[in-house]
Amino acid sequence: MNIHSIGISHHTAALDVREKMWLSVDETREALRQLKQRYFTECMLVSTCNRTELYGLTLDVQIDDEEVKRFLIELKNAGGVVQPEHFTASFAGGAVNHLFKVASGIDSMVIGDIQILNQVKEAFQLSREIEVMGPVMNRLMQTTLHVGKRTRTETTICEGAVSVSYAAVELANKIFEDLSRKSALLIGAGETGELTMKHLVSKGIGRVRVANRTRGKAEALVANLGVDGSVVEYEHMVDALRTVDIVITSVNSPSYIVQPDDVHKVMKQRSNNPLFIIDIGVPRNVNPAVKKIDNVFLYDMDSLSAIVDKNLDRRKAEIPKVTRIIREEMVEFFHWHNSLQVGPTIHDLRDALETIRQQEVEKNINRFNPEDRELVELVTKRIVNKILHQPVTNLKHGAENGSRGSETIFRIKALRELFGIGEPKKREHEN
Amino acid sequence: MDLVAAVEFLVVFIPVLYAGLVILYGLSFFRSIPLADRWKSPLLHVSVLFHIGYILLRTAAFDHPPVTTVFEIMTLLAASISVGYTYIELRTKASNTGFFILLLALVFQTVSSLFIKDLTEIAPILRSRLLGFHVSTALLGYTAISLSAVYGFLYLMLYHEIKSSRFGLIYTRLPNLEMLEKMSHKAELFGFWMLTIAIAVGLIWLPRAFENFSYWDPKLIGTLFIWVLYAVGLTAKRKLGWQGRKTMIISLVGFGFVFLSMTVINMYLSGFHTFY
Repeated sequence: MNIHSIGISHHTAALDVREKMWLSVDETREALRQLKQRYFTECMLVSTCNRTELYGLTLDVQIDDEEVKRFLIELKNAGGVVQPEHFTASFAGGAVNHLFKVASGIDSMVIGDIQILNQVKEAFQLSREIEVMGPVMNRLMQTTLHVGKRTRTETTICEGAVSVSYAAVELANKIFEDLSRKSALLIGAGETGELTMKHLVSKGIGRVRVANRTRGKAEALVANLGVDGSVVEYEHMVDALRTVDIVITSVNSPSYIVQPDDVHKVMKQRSNNPLFIIDIGVPRNVNPAVKKIDNVFLYDMDSLSAIVDKNLDRRKAEIPKVTRIIREEMVEFFHWHNSLQVGPTIHDLRDALETIRQQEVEKNINRFNPEDRELVELVTKRIVNKILHQPVTNLKHGAENGSRGSETIFRIKALRELFGIGEPKKREHEN
Repeated sequence: MDLVAAVEFLVVFIPVLYAGLVILYGLSFFRSIPLADRWKSPLLHVSVLFHIGYILLRTAAFDHPPVTTVFEIMTLLAASISVGYTYIELRTKASNTGFFILLLALVFQTVSSLFIKDLTEIAPILRSRLLGFHVSTALLGYTAISLSAVYGFLYLMLYHEIKSSRFGLIYTRLPNLEMLEKMSHKAELFGFWMLTIAIAVGLIWLPRAFENFSYWDPKLIGTLFIWVLYAVGLTAKRKLGWQGRKTMIISLVGFGFVFLSMTVINMYLSGFHTFY
């Protein structure tokens, strides 16, 4: 299995180094064409903000990783910033393992990041489009996507919000049944506040309201959010608490802008309907005593960060499960790959024996009477077939049923060495 | 086939089934063990069938439906709770509350199995049609009240967990607060009206059926007290805008009294409502 992986990622290189190696779709296309010409029979390139990685299959094991690294650096003209030391390289099982780890999200900067699987999928598709894929990489792609799918369905590594704004949305979903019937109010215009509001919109919040000291900003944001929304005068924002279900405060203010008395009053007016307040302001915008009021759920940056930390720990705890899936899929993949080599080996062995038979028959055919010659041909063919029958059956059987891929590889190697039939030719990849 | 022998086997076997169910649902909820996830619902369906079979066999073997003693009623209640839960699970596709609800069914069934007696002789008074109506409405009412209490309990646990920012299993596995409150409230409302009918029918039927009938009977006072409690709770929700925690606490307290009424009053303060 001559699969190589050579690449640069967040493990080995800082952002300013990684961004130098980032490849656009067009650049990727060009790079793949050249890589195929120079080094690989099949290849693909994954390029995201966290990694640029090359996966390639060679017919000849003797490929110089260093040369490929230099080629990639030169391709991006990044000689000054990117060094070969920023790259990591692995081979055969190591390369497949690495690809599976990447696709399952356990190699990501934020563990369990699901975006990466789509990016890997797109990379495969691009390679297919420009025809630098072959049967081995195709199969590898299927298995990789399968690893990703199994990871998502069989583990919880992708679950739980890992950013403060998502954590807030997740909480909203634990309090309210149907966000499309709820409304949210954003007070202030901090970046995280806006992001949280956008997440709520993407989760289908029914109505949005925005209050800002500068009315123009509020209007712009409402227009930008693209849902049923309106602007609330900043001075009237406490009154607005009567009619909304979720409040995000993100105001730069030295004192609390919402006090327990305000909320007590509001809760009576809203017949105690649950009120979820997300205080993203630093210093805090809402008096923490508000938390004690019945049916009011108040969260600040600290408590949201605590959720994020907890979720990250939970994701980490899922890694062993993912590793097990990867191992299972690797066994499956290599099993397939071994069986791929059995066919050509049997073919080559038959060829070799047939050649010997033909040579010997030709050499000695004159010693037989003309009427017996046809029989000689028949008998020798039968002998060769009988000799081949048992080893061929065993070899096929081993590859089809045995999960121990190393055993099959060993047999193939031994057979080729003993009979002197050399390495499989290109034909294997067309099987 | 010996009917009585079959019933005697099932008396022991049904609680064992429920214990198995509670263990499976528990393993699924607390440990997310795939095997438990896979088998809990099939086992639930099998158990419900066995339980219904048990009730039918009992009726045949002792020549009366099991409605004449509190322990007979308790097995009906357990069956009714698990049938109700099966319906909820099939409809909402959410099986994460099963552990808590079936735990309740297990408690009722175990108490029933421990004390139930094989009565063949029953008072002729208990063969009235009005009694059947009284018992079935009371049963539906208590089932709904039990479910309401479990959802109320889950609401309070989740409420507490969200309020105190401790995001454990309860937080991860349970549905949202609004849904739990809605389920609890709907069940409570249904339970309340069923109970109202049961009480009304009882009050019409009692003076005719019993000579020693008294309005100061502990069971009657207890039940009326429970009814008033729920009436106050439901009115407070409607008129005073009580929401969330407070209404859930009322639902739980109400259930506490129901349980007391079924056990302590029926067993120790014997009045006309005990028949054995």
